[in-house]
Amino acid sequence: MKNLIIAAAALAALTTASQAQAIRIGTEGAYAPWNFIDDSGKVAGFEIDLGNELCTRASLECTWVVNEWDTIIPNLIAGNYDAIMAGMSITDERKQTLDFSDNYFPPDPSKYVAAAGKTFDFGNLSGVRIGVQGATIQAAYAEESFRSGNTILSFETADQALADLNAGNLDLILADGSYLAEVIAGSGGSLEFVGPDVMIGGGVGVGLRKADDELEQKFNAVIAEAKRDGTLDALITKWFPDKGPGPFFE
Amino acid sequence: MFDLLPEWMKNGIGDDLLFWLGYFTNGKHLAWYASVQFTLTAAIVGAAFALLFGLIGATLKNSAFAPARLIGSGYTNIVRGVPDVLFFLFFPLAFEQLAELVLAQAVCTPLELASASGRWPPCADANWYLDTFQYLMLACVSLGIVYGAFTANVIHGAMRSVPHGQLEAARAFGMSPAQVAWRIHIRQMWVYALPGLSNCWLLLIKSTSLLSLLQIADIVLWAERLGAPNFTRSAGLVHPDWRWYYYLVLLIFYILLTFASEKVFAALTRRASRGMAVASAD
Repeated sequence: MKNLIIAAAALAALTTASQAQAIRIGTEGAYAPWNFIDDSGKVAGFEIDLGNELCTRASLECTWVVNEWDTIIPNLIAGNYDAIMAGMSITDERKQTLDFSDNYFPPDPSKYVAAAGKTFDFGNLSGVRIGVQGATIQAAYAEESFRSGNTILSFETADQALADLNAGNLDLILADGSYLAEVIAGSGGSLEFVGPDVMIGGGVGVGLRKADDELEQKFNAVIAEAKRDGTLDALITKWFPDKGPGPFFE
Repeated sequence: MFDLLPEWMKNGIGDDLLFWLGYFTNGKHLAWYASVQFTLTAAIVGAAFALLFGLIGATLKNSAFAPARLIGSGYTNIVRGVPDVLFFLFFPLAFEQLAELVLAQAVCTPLELASASGRWPPCADANWYLDTFQYLMLACVSLGIVYGAFTANVIHGAMRSVPHGQLEAARAFGMSPAQVAWRIHIRQMWVYALPGLSNCWLLLIKSTSLLSLLQIADIVLWAERLGAPNFTRSAGLVHPDWRWYYYLVLLIFYILLTFASEKVFAALTRRASRGMAVASAD
C-alpha cells in the first residue's frame, strides 16, 4: 500500500512537472451563443473560440470541461478545472470567492422578455411571475427588486426558463441581452423585449482561483493583446451579429 | 452523413425523413448512442464487484469465527440501509478526499501544510483530477459495495438452503472441507441463489442511471442535453423542451435490458439445475 502511495505521488509530481502549461477550462455548455454543445457533440461558441485563441497566444494547452452552472464556482475552487469561461459577469459578490481577468465582453444590459403584446408597469410590478437562471446576476437583481408581491422562479439553465415562458408558465424573463438577442430574432415574433434595460455586472471575464495570480496575468496579457489587434472585436461580431462591427473596447 | 446518397435515393426517402435521419445521426446523437458503453460497463463491472463482495460477505457471515461474522453482518446491515444515491455520491468523493489527504502528506511542503487552513487540497500538487474512466471505476466499486451487501445476504441464504445430507455425503466420500465447499456446497448453492441474484442485478441496472451524478456523460446526461430546449439557431435545431421524448427512449432501453436479463437468468437457472433433485427451483 505504501509503495502504491509513493508511486502515485511520484506520478502526480511527474505529470504536473512535465505538463505545467496544461490547464482545464470549465464552461456550462448550455448558453448559446456563448458556449453550447454543437451538433457534432463538442463544446462550441464564442467563448470556446476565444478561449482557444487566448490559450494559443499564452502557450497554454487547454481542455474544456462541461460543468453545470450552479456548481461551476465551487468546482473551480475544488480544483476540477483552473478557469471558468461561461458568460460569467464580474461582480463584487463573486470577487469575494474568486478572481476575474480583465473583461473579454463589455458590460452588457440585461433585458426583459415576454410573450408578444404583453405590457407591464415596470415602475410598480406586482403579481408577476418572473423567470431567471439560478445563481446569476439577474437572479440576484430580481430577488432584490421584485421579491414582494411577485413570484420569482429560478431555473437550472436559461433555455429552460424560455421553455416555460413559451408554455405560458411565466410572464417575464430577465436575462443577458447578448443571450436573448438571437432568441428573440428566431422566435418568429412570438417573443419580444419589453420594459427598460437593466445595467448590472461589470462585463464578462475569466474566473480564476484567488491564488492563481500568474495565470491571471497571463490571461490579462493575451486579452489585452486580442483587444488591441481587433481579434476580440471580430469574434464578438461573429457570434453576436446584432452587436454590429464594434469597436467594443476603448 | 446522408448527403452522399445518390439523388434518386434521396428523392425516394423524401426531405422530411432525410432531415430526421440526419438529425438522429448527428455527432450529438452518436455521442448519446456511444455513451451506452458507460452504462453497460458500470452494470457488468459493478455486478462483478457485487458478486465478489457478496461472496466475501457471505463467507464472513458463515464463518465460525465470531468477529468475522460480526463484520459480515455489519456490512450487510449497514450498507443495505443506506440509500444507493447517497452511497454513490459519498464513496467516490470520500475516496478522492482520502487520496488527496494521503498525497498531500507526501508532496506538499510542511510550510504549505501548516499554512493551508481551510484550503483543500493544501497544495496544488496534491490535487487529484478524476477523469471519466477513474470516476467510472469508482462508480463500479460503489455499485459493487452497495449491491454486494444484498448479494451477500442472498448467497448466505442460498448456502443454508443446500440440503445437509449432500454435505454429509460428500464428507463421507472423504472430501476435504475445501472440496466440500467448492465442489458441492457452492456448486449447488447457485440454484437457490439465482432468483435472488437476478433481483440484485436488476436493481443494479437501475442504479446505473446515477452515473451522471459523477460527471460521467452517460445516456441520462446526453438525453438531458439533447432534449433540453434550444432557442438559438447557431446552436443547432431550434426546438422546445423535448426531454420527455428522450427520457421515454431511456425507459424503453431499460425495459429491453430487463427483458434480456430475464432471458439470460432463465438460461443460467436451467444450466445450474442440471441433474439437481430440486429440478426447476425458481
